Amino acid sequence: MFEFVNTLLIGITAGSIYSLMAIAIVLVWRSTRVVNFAAGGIALASTFVGATILETTGSFWIALPVAMLAGAALSAFIEYFFLRPLLHRSGERTQEIFLPIIATLGILGVMKALLHFIYGEKIGVISPPLSDKGFIVSGESIALSPLRLMILGIVLVLMIGLTLIFQRTNLGLSLRAASFAPEISRLSGIRVDLIRTLGWAISGAAGATAGILQTVNGSGSVTPEAFEFSLLLVFGFVAAVIGGIESLIGAVIGGLTLGIILAIILMYVGGSLVFFSAFLILILVLLLRPHGIIGVKGGRRA
Amino acid sequence: MVAVHSRQITNKHRFIGFVLIGLVVYILSNIVDEWRAYQGATVAVFVVAIASIILLTGYSGQISLGHGALLAVGAYTAALTQIYFGAPIWICFAAAVLATALFGAILGAAAARLSGPYLAGTTLALAVGLPSIANQFSILGGEQGISFDAGWPPLSFGESFTQYKWFLWIATLAALISMWWVQNILRSRYGRSWLAVKSNEVAAEIAGINLGRTKVLAFTVSAGIAGLAGALLAMTMNNVSPSAFPLALSFFIATGAVLAGVNTLGGVIIGSVALVAIPLIASSISDRWSGSESLATVLPDFIVSALLILTVFLAPKGPIEKLRSRHSK
Repeated sequence: MFEFVNTLLIGITAGSIYSLMAIAIVLVWRSTRVVNFAAGGIALASTFVGATILETTGSFWIALPVAMLAGAALSAFIEYFFLRPLLHRSGERTQEIFLPIIATLGILGVMKALLHFIYGEKIGVISPPLSDKGFIVSGESIALSPLRLMILGIVLVLMIGLTLIFQRTNLGLSLRAASFAPEISRLSGIRVDLIRTLGWAISGAAGATAGILQTVNGSGSVTPEAFEFSLLLVFGFVAAVIGGIESLIGAVIGGLTLGIILAIILMYVGGSLVFFSAFLILILVLLLRPHGIIGVKGGRRA
Repeated sequence: MVAVHSRQITNKHRFIGFVLIGLVVYILSNIVDEWRAYQGATVAVFVVAIASIILLTGYSGQISLGHGALLAVGAYTAALTQIYFGAPIWICFAAAVLATALFGAILGAAAARLSGPYLAGTTLALAVGLPSIANQFSILGGEQGISFDAGWPPLSFGESFTQYKWFLWIATLAALISMWWVQNILRSRYGRSWLAVKSNEVAAEIAGINLGRTKVLAFTVSAGIAGLAGALLAMTMNNVSPSAFPLALSFFIATGAVLAGVNTLGGVIIGSVALVAIPLIASSISDRWSGSESLATVLPDFIVSALLILTVFLAPKGPIEKLRSRHSK
């Protein structure tokens, strides 16, 4: 029982980080209908920015917002200079999603190569700001540590912030309108292109946070070829698809489901089946609900 | 398919073309050294793998980011067939094709219900997940993998006949046969119904095409070809292990398909030569201009990725279509 609770706690922490990455992917999908593999590169690059800031200032709480800003800027840059021309040329209502995928894969590759070139064999270190020693409950240390609490707290704050933006502000309304009916939004005075870039920027900030938290939760250091980041990208995408790729709530549910089930499998079945079970979970969900847990059949076409 | 031009290319012409390509490779294989023969064999492997992607994505409109997993199924099947039945390699190849096609049919039955990002996500998860289960079952040899030995060339070819030349022959023959078969099936009623489903599902269904069956068939055929590519890859590496089929391999093949022009089979050789040549070009560039090691390690990836972005922007339908459309203007 004790062990099971610990496993759950580990799963929830990992899952909440996947949720953030899934949100990054969902935001981009909603605003431009692009499956954004560059999100992995953005997360990686902004984690390096965060590591550099942490090295100079020594404060995690300065490094995190700066990294988020860097992620937002980078993401907006990619949208503005690469995806916007590509989507404009191929026409708004193209069903082709293969080319944008390939474009973002190419961008991911270029970013990784550049990071590798800049940082070489150096690693970025993000030391945890809080202790990762578990709290003591009735004489035994549980998997919940101040660090894990902080991770969960950051994710929770971001999610509440995003929900407030989407539900309560004009910006959120424009974001939703621009992805729901771009032409009509344009006619009613929303600058759809700008809004899309903003959507990418928010996604970049979420991805950057996911990158930093993944690093802190894992080894505490990051390299351009870090396997943790490939995992983050793949699991984030899988979580987004499980949740129905349209919905922020879905992304959170997908991320937590994935995190918890994978933690249970890692604990009780064996490490070598973790990746395959991610595939099994995905295909089981999609066979029961081909458009994800929250997704709607047919969906909205933006 | 009405012939507008007076010079229509018939299957006979194509057959002559294939024989010529085979002849050229035969002559080349006698000139080049061992290392070039190995590269040639790799090009042939990629031709088969890329053709499999083009068939699936370019013709039937289904996205696969997980072809590396299908290659792995083929490679493991071939190796297991050899180890447990002691079968000659031709049988191993056939078994690889059949087993992977069967796997593809099961996967396709699930995939036919999915579209766009859902399919991309599923295949991606497969590419990450499948190779790692080799660590779970001891029959698959774990991280070390299991060996697959294509054997030495028959003695009747003479003493000087090298191992890699033999691989080159086998891979080229397999590539020619599968390309011949693929280009024929794409011109058959199946190929036409794939194209119909790709361009408009509703119209295709009204025209009497069974959507589900058509998509599953495309997945099955594509998987079978990918299985052959996997078995050939295992042959050139003498070994099958999970690390030979990383996610990067799936992306690498998709890259080749884009460089080749994903909507036309004709560019397949361009894509596969590019995949093999770029790392070499990159290393010669970095050797010449700087001895820096970090440049040498990142340059191939950088060039491939940059080319990918350029292709998407400048020639989204691939180099062949680009030339063709310029020609006809």
